[in-house]
Amino acid sequence: MRGVPGEGAAAAQAPMTDSRAVAVWSRVAAHAAGHGRPVSLADVCAVAVTSALADGAWLAAARSGEPDFLMYATDLTGEQLAELQLTLGEGPCHDVLASAAPVLAADLDDEDYGGRWAGFTAEARRLGAAAVFAFPLVVGAIRAGAMGLYRGEAGPLTDGQLGDLLILADAATVMLLGTGNGFDGVDDGAGLDGQAPDLALHRAEIDQATGMLSVQLGVPAAEAFARLRAYAYSQDRRLADVAGDVVARQLRLHRDPGQDGGP
Amino acid sequence: MDTDLLSDTFVDLADTMVDDFDVIDFLHLLTDRSVALLAASAAGVLLADPRGELRVAAASSDAVELVELFQLQNDQGPCLDCFHTGQAVAVPDLTATVQRWPRFAGAAVSSGFRTVQALPMRLRDQVIGALNLFGAEPGPFDPMDLRIGQALADVATIGLLHARNVRRSETVAEQLQAALNSRVTIEQAKGKLAERLGIDMDGAFKLLRDHARNSNQLLTDVARDFVNSRTGDFPPQRSRRSGQRPRPGRGGLS
Repeated sequence: MRGVPGEGAAAAQAPMTDSRAVAVWSRVAAHAAGHGRPVSLADVCAVAVTSALADGAWLAAARSGEPDFLMYATDLTGEQLAELQLTLGEGPCHDVLASAAPVLAADLDDEDYGGRWAGFTAEARRLGAAAVFAFPLVVGAIRAGAMGLYRGEAGPLTDGQLGDLLILADAATVMLLGTGNGFDGVDDGAGLDGQAPDLALHRAEIDQATGMLSVQLGVPAAEAFARLRAYAYSQDRRLADVAGDVVARQLRLHRDPGQDGGP
Repeated sequence: MDTDLLSDTFVDLADTMVDDFDVIDFLHLLTDRSVALLAASAAGVLLADPRGELRVAAASSDAVELVELFQLQNDQGPCLDCFHTGQAVAVPDLTATVQRWPRFAGAAVSSGFRTVQALPMRLRDQVIGALNLFGAEPGPFDPMDLRIGQALADVATIGLLHARNVRRSETVAEQLQAALNSRVTIEQAKGKLAERLGIDMDGAFKLLRDHARNSNQLLTDVARDFVNSRTGDFPPQRSRRSGQRPRPGRGGLS
């Protein structure tokens, strides 16, 4: 990372943002195409496993801010680890939804984790998991669920693996929020309308517009976020651009989408 | 240099970190004081997200043009170079850098800025972001101001990462993501409040921050409760989770 000042200028010519997200998303789309189906949460999990050299992954949807429902697991152990947490009411997936931060438990034998989730850790070790990585599927105050991965051998994620998993967690979040109630089923890729998640997801205007629309539409923030995305898609415009118009008070959305538009 | 304000700033920053504190509120204190102390017109903290982005965690003003300037540095600009090299990057005259950073320099100059300085935020050998200072007049920042600016950036890094708790390298990534999501929550709350009251984003932020301080709650807790409240009334009802947090010694915060 270190070097002579100015050396970074060459790297700076290439945009940081889009390339990585595009590459990750392309892998998800290719995985779905390889199975001859629309993109789904199953593809996100499968790509997460290969990206992180993990042994399995799972996705749980949240209700009232806690993991509540197993949406998908890539293998039996993944399913058991997810169900274990739902049964015990403790574990990394609960923690990531409470803190909105990932839990990167690279070695479950570390005494910190035994103390943190005594029941989960002991049983996870018995099931053959030595490392567990959990990611919140959140957008600010909106909590959609949690994504978990396990490895049979202890060891940390690389920076590149972490970056890929955060991007995949974003994609899963958008897919869960796009399905309305989030319980439509495993193979529901409708939340993405067949397109890549917006690659400039992390812009203040999108978050501000979500808050504004929740008032305009009289709906929870999760639904306001989904409406914002749906509107951008229906107009074939970038999410960030539409959000900018909402924040500039040049665009209002209405409960009846037929009346959308105008300041 | 206003030495009284400088002393107050370090006292306030240290004071804040003694308790359970809100990271974004803390970074805003830092950007506001950077402007007041360092002859800067604007200041911002950008954090490096492992997704491959620089993300704005705090800025001294929410003026759209300023936020855009920070965001532009995902693609090019002194903050990106500072992050890549881990070294401070000084740009005494932005008009001389139009070739190096055409979009960034053009946007900065048309927003009324002539000079920019990026100071790295480092924990041991890891660069987690940068403190970005903008000035309205061409010419280098005063070297003493820059030393103080770097000290502020170092204190901010420690505060941001709750560094006394950082034992595993994983913890840095976990803390950064929590901070970045706090920022998103606060932006959602600002939008909701701005729409509700017909005010601008700066005004909404100030109301949220004042309410958090006056009621001894963390800014992010207030923001989350407000975003999730069904009624949309402000101030929001406290959720079970946020609860009362006694926070002695906060009198010095402005």
